[in-house]
Amino acid sequence: MLFRTNPSSGVPIYLQLMEQVKHAIETGALRAGDQLPGIRPLAEELVINPNTVAKAYRELEHEGVIELRHGAGAFVSATTRGKKAAEKVRAGQSIVSAAVEKLHARGMSDDEIRRLFEAELSGLTKAGGRGE
Amino acid sequence: MLWYKSWLETRWRFLIGFALLMLSAMGCVFGYPRVIQLLPAASSIDAGGEIGRRIKEAVQLAGTYRGYVWSQWFGQELLQMWTLFAALVGSGSVFSRVSGDAAPFTLSLPASRNRVLGIRAATGFAELFVLAFVPSLIIPLCSPVIGQSYSFGDALVYSTCLFVAGSAFYCLALLLSTVFNDLWRPLMITCGVALVLALGEQALRSASGGGIFRVMSAQTYFQTGSLPWAGLVVSLALSSAMLYGADANIARRDF
Amino acid sequence: MSEALVIEAADLRKEFDGVAALRGLTFQVPAGRICGFLGKNGAGKTTCIKVLLGMARPTSGQARVFGLPASDQTSSVEIRRRTGFVSEEKDLYDFMTVDEMIRFTRDFFPRWRNDLADRYLKSFELPRDRKVKALSRGMRTKLALLLALSRGAELLILDEPTSGLDPAASEEVLQALIGHVATEQMTVFFSSHQIAEVEQIADSVVIIDTGRAIVSGELDVLREQFRRIELVFDGEAPDVAFQAPGVQRVQRKGRVMTIVCSMGSDSVLDETRPLAPVSVQVAPVTLKEIFLGTIHKED
Repeated sequence: MLFRTNPSSGVPIYLQLMEQVKHAIETGALRAGDQLPGIRPLAEELVINPNTVAKAYRELEHEGVIELRHGAGAFVSATTRGKKAAEKVRAGQSIVSAAVEKLHARGMSDDEIRRLFEAELSGLTKAGGRGE
Repeated sequence: MLWYKSWLETRWRFLIGFALLMLSAMGCVFGYPRVIQLLPAASSIDAGGEIGRRIKEAVQLAGTYRGYVWSQWFGQELLQMWTLFAALVGSGSVFSRVSGDAAPFTLSLPASRNRVLGIRAATGFAELFVLAFVPSLIIPLCSPVIGQSYSFGDALVYSTCLFVAGSAFYCLALLLSTVFNDLWRPLMITCGVALVLALGEQALRSASGGGIFRVMSAQTYFQTGSLPWAGLVVSLALSSAMLYGADANIARRDF
Repeated sequence: MSEALVIEAADLRKEFDGVAALRGLTFQVPAGRICGFLGKNGAGKTTCIKVLLGMARPTSGQARVFGLPASDQTSSVEIRRRTGFVSEEKDLYDFMTVDEMIRFTRDFFPRWRNDLADRYLKSFELPRDRKVKALSRGMRTKLALLLALSRGAELLILDEPTSGLDPAASEEVLQALIGHVATEQMTVFFSSHQIAEVEQIADSVVIIDTGRAIVSGELDVLREQFRRIELVFDGEAPDVAFQAPGVQRVQRKGRVMTIVCSMGSDSVLDETRPLAPVSVQVAPVTLKEIFLGTIHKED
C-alpha cells in the first residue's frame, strides 16, 4: 500500500509513519476527508507494533494533520489547521528539493547529503543545543 | 489429560511387558506335561557341586504342580521380568523434554510439579499392578486344560507379595528419574541394584534372613504357608521413603 | 500515570554449579508492551525466563509476574495460568499428534479460545494427525505458538521465537504475533538474536550482558538518546578519557574517533571541541549499534 517503514534506519518508526502520511497528503495521494487505514490492519500489514501506529496517529492528530473520530477511524483533516500543516510540508519540501539538487551538482552523494542534514539537525553547529 | 499423557509415555513398555508375561504364563502352564516327561531323566543326572544341588532341587520342586509353578513362574519368570519392567516403567524424565537443558513444556503449564509426579507415579503403579496380577491369573485359569488345578487364592497371594515388595524397585527408578534427565541412567542403576541384590541373595542362600526377592516370591508362604510380613513392611517403608524423596527432589530442583 | 507492571525483576542473582548466570538483573515490563530481550548467548536470557516461570529458583533477589512472587510454588501456578510460553527448543511431546497436543493443553486453561486455535491451525497449515516428532522445525514453532496464543493469556513469554526459521516462516510468526497483540490485550516479552525483528515490533527493550541489564527502556526514547559521534582529526585520534556521562564506547582508528553515547551528544561535543577535530558528524544509532556498543567485548 502507501506506507513502508524501515525499522533499522535509527529513525523511530512512528516518525517515519508520520512523515509518510504527511507526504501522502502533500502529494495528493491522501485528500482531505479520506480515511486512513485502521491501526490494526496497518500494523499487521507492516508487521510493526500497533502501539507505534497508534502513537503516530496521535501525534498527527496533535499536529492537526488528521482527525481521530471515535469508533470510526482516522481521517485526513479538512480544517485549515490541517491544510496549513500540509502547506508547510509542501513548502519545506521544495526548499529541500532545491538544496539537494545544488549539493548533487557539487558532486555530493546521497549519503553525504544525508549526513550533513543529520549533523545539522543534531545541533552540531549550534552553540547551545537544538533550535527549532 | 495428565493421565492420558503418562499413559502415552509408558504405553509401549507396558504393552510389551504384558504380552511377554501373558505368553510366558501360558508357556509355563502348557509346558508342564513336557516337564513331567523329562523328570525321570533329570533325576538320574549325577552332577556334583552347586549345579548338581540345583538340579536336584529343581527336580524335587517339579515333583508337584504347585512346586513347579512356584519355582518356574512366581519364583523365576514373573519375578525377573516384572522387576525389569518395574525399572523400565519407572525410568524416564518426569517432565519429558527434548534435550537436557530445555525448558520443559510441562513445567510451563499451570500444574504443580508434585501433581505431575503424582499422576506419573500412579499411572506406573496401575500398569505394574496389572502386570503383576493378570498374567498370574492365567495359571489357575488354564491349568484345568492340562488336567491340573491351581488355587486362585495362592496366585493372588503371590502376586500381592510381588507387587507390594517389588514396588521398591519401581520407586527407586522414579526417584532416580527425578535426579537424572535421561531414561538410561535410572534404568541401568535400578537394574544394577536388582542384580547385586539377587546375586547377594544367592550367595547368602544358607542364611535364613530376608532378601527382597525372597519376599517378592513369597518363599515362606510356599514353604510354610506364612506370609513374609516383616519383609513386606520393610519394603513398604523403603518405597514410601523413596517416593517422599522423589517428591521433595522435584519440588526443590531447578530445571 | 502509573502503569501496572507485568514483569518486575529486582537484583536477581542465580548461580548454577558455581557459575553466576544472573548477577543482579533488574528491569520492569509495563502492561501492554512488546518488550524485546537482547543479549549474547550465555548472557542469562533463558535463565531469567526460567526464573520468571518458576522453573528455576533465584539464589537471591526477587522476580514478580502480575505482582505475584515467581519463586513461590502456588503463585507460580497462577502465573502460568495466565502466561503463554514458547521455549527456545520448542519443547513439546514428540509422541503426541498436533490434535492431541491441542486437546492436552486446552485442558489446563479455562480461558482457552477455540476460535483462535482453529484460526491458527488453518493459517499455519498444521496437519492435525501428524505426530510432533514428524513436524519440521518451522511447524513445531508454529504449533508451540498456537498453543501459547490460544490459551487466553495476558502475557506471552517467547524465547527466540524465530530461531531456525526461514524468512517466510519468520514473517508468518511475526505477523501472527502482531495480529494477536492488536486484538487482544496483552504484554509480550520475547528474547531474540534477531535485532532487526526486535526493532520492528518491540516498543521497549532490555539488553542483558553477563547477567545484568545494561540498557532498558522504550525503544523510541533510546533512539532519541543514543548518538554516534564521528570525529576526524588532523593527526592520530587523541587518546582521551571522557568525563561526560553516558559515553558507552570510544573507538580509535587512525585519524577517526567514533563515540557511542547514551545521553545525548551535547556534553560529549563540548568535551571534543578543545581537541580541535577537523570534522564532526552526529548521527542517530540503530538498535544493533546500541547493542554492540554497550555489551562487553570479549577481550
